[in-house]
Amino acid sequence: MARQALLVSPELCIGCRGCQTACKEWNHLSVQKTRNTGTFENPPDLSRTAYNRIRFIEMPTEGGPRWMFVSQRCMHCGDAPCMTICPSAGAIFRTKEGAVAFNRDKCIGCRLCSSACPFGLVRFDEKNRISKCHMCSDRIASGLSPACAKTCPTGALKFGDRNSMISLARTAGYNKLYGEEDLAGLSVLYAFKESPKVYGLKENPAMPETLVFWNEILKPLAYAGFGLAVGASLLHYLAIGPKREEEETRHE
Amino acid sequence: MSERMIRKAGAFEILNHWALALSFFVLALSGAGFLYHLEGVAALFGGPQGMRGIHNWAGVVFAVSLAGTVFNYLGVSLSFSYDDIDWLMKGGGYLSRKKINVPPQDKINTGQKLYYLGVLFAGGLISASGLAIWLLPGNRELVLASHFVHTLCYAALLFFIPIHIYLATLANPGTVRIMISGTVPLDWARKRHAKWVKKMGYE
Ligand code: HEM
Ligand code: SF4
Ligand code: SF4
Repeated sequence: MARQALLVSPELCIGCRGCQTACKEWNHLSVQKTRNTGTFENPPDLSRTAYNRIRFIEMPTEGGPRWMFVSQRCMHCGDAPCMTICPSAGAIFRTKEGAVAFNRDKCIGCRLCSSACPFGLVRFDEKNRISKCHMCSDRIASGLSPACAKTCPTGALKFGDRNSMISLARTAGYNKLYGEEDLAGLSVLYAFKESPKVYGLKENPAMPETLVFWNEILKPLAYAGFGLAVGASLLHYLAIGPKREEEETRHE
Repeated sequence: MSERMIRKAGAFEILNHWALALSFFVLALSGAGFLYHLEGVAALFGGPQGMRGIHNWAGVVFAVSLAGTVFNYLGVSLSFSYDDIDWLMKGGGYLSRKKINVPPQDKINTGQKLYYLGVLFAGGLISASGLAIWLLPGNRELVLASHFVHTLCYAALLFFIPIHIYLATLANPGTVRIMISGTVPLDWARKRHAKWVKKMGYE
């Protein structure tokens, strides 16, 4: 199946947060009490009960403050560091639509994924198991849109074939989308007017370097080294053989 | 047997060594289960969550027994002399069955000293990094560095420990006694650890 993606257009977002509610509804997420921090932003962070949220960014300009509403959630990286580091088989997996989904029954709660995520987007439930946006993997598997995109009244969240999402943004005048290339392409594409920094996102997100080396060198090295040690011992035993006591030199 | 025996390892050294060896075996196996996503190994430990619990607590046993080895081997491992250089030049007489006149050795030989220092270093780092991954999960930079170091030391230990086991069992029959009864024939000790035997007051 062709890779699916969400196209996020902050310019079209009115901050109604219907997406937050729709996500809770579909994923049976409860609510956590939050505090008013002097902005409309609520909840203040992603959490086990908030797989997505709208970040409110207030930018001072000459004509008064400018508001930007930016949908935040797991980016569904094409080359996902969380998946690379996860030590438990099948705890994080890729769906055929290209979403990065998870299986709580296999998660061991080590939180390595959270350290590997270049965006810091992984959260955990009460049992310390991974809890994040899975792009409504159950919905998209049967041809539906994720709940957030389905609800969005303005088209600030659109869902569909990743290539058509990119062409759609091109026709709307965005020459380059955030997430087009980095990490083998994200499945959450952002149509940004300004530099990513303004929206609070890294310029060039990438797989942590130690993780690349770990995956490509250390993993095979540990395996090969063990094989070599066992193989060399065996060879020595067969070719030269054990050193029996009676054959030894004696120090007088 | 009327052979005269000499005690090379005491009860503490023997028990501590077995705690280290068995915890290492459990850690190496469960670690491979994590590293290579071996679901069969995870099933052996009662599923991935069970494997995590066993790995982390076996890690505590490993770290404690590694610390225990300091009392037995660190002092002697840090004392080098010309005999050690000589030993190294002759390859310890280990690899061939020919009679090679190796210089007299202390309670452990040069190769064992170097091996011990390496294991203490890599074992210390794998323990520290494991504890960091386990207990400080919020600290991103520290966890990523620890995760890297943990597997680097894993690779080192998985290379050296099988060789150590081979040399102590199949390659040198009779050596494993040290970890069972703790005693060896005086004659055997004279051949392999002449310096130490002398220190112990035997002629
Ligand atoms: C104090 C000692 C140790 C502690 C606390 C410890 C802890 C950990 C932790 C927390 C993890 C991540 C998975 C999990 O949560 O269980 C892990 C993974 C692992 N451990 Fe250990 N460990 C220790 C010693 C060892 C030793 C001695 C070995 C090798 C024999 C080893 C080999 C591994 C391997 C190969 C992994 C998988 C790494 C990965 O998938 O990235 N560990 N350990
Ligand atoms: S954004 Fe983070 S959690 Fe989502 S796929 Fe990428 S690394 Fe994983
Ligand atoms: S917390 Fe769960 S999902 Fe995250 S790396 Fe550990 S086992 Fe994998």
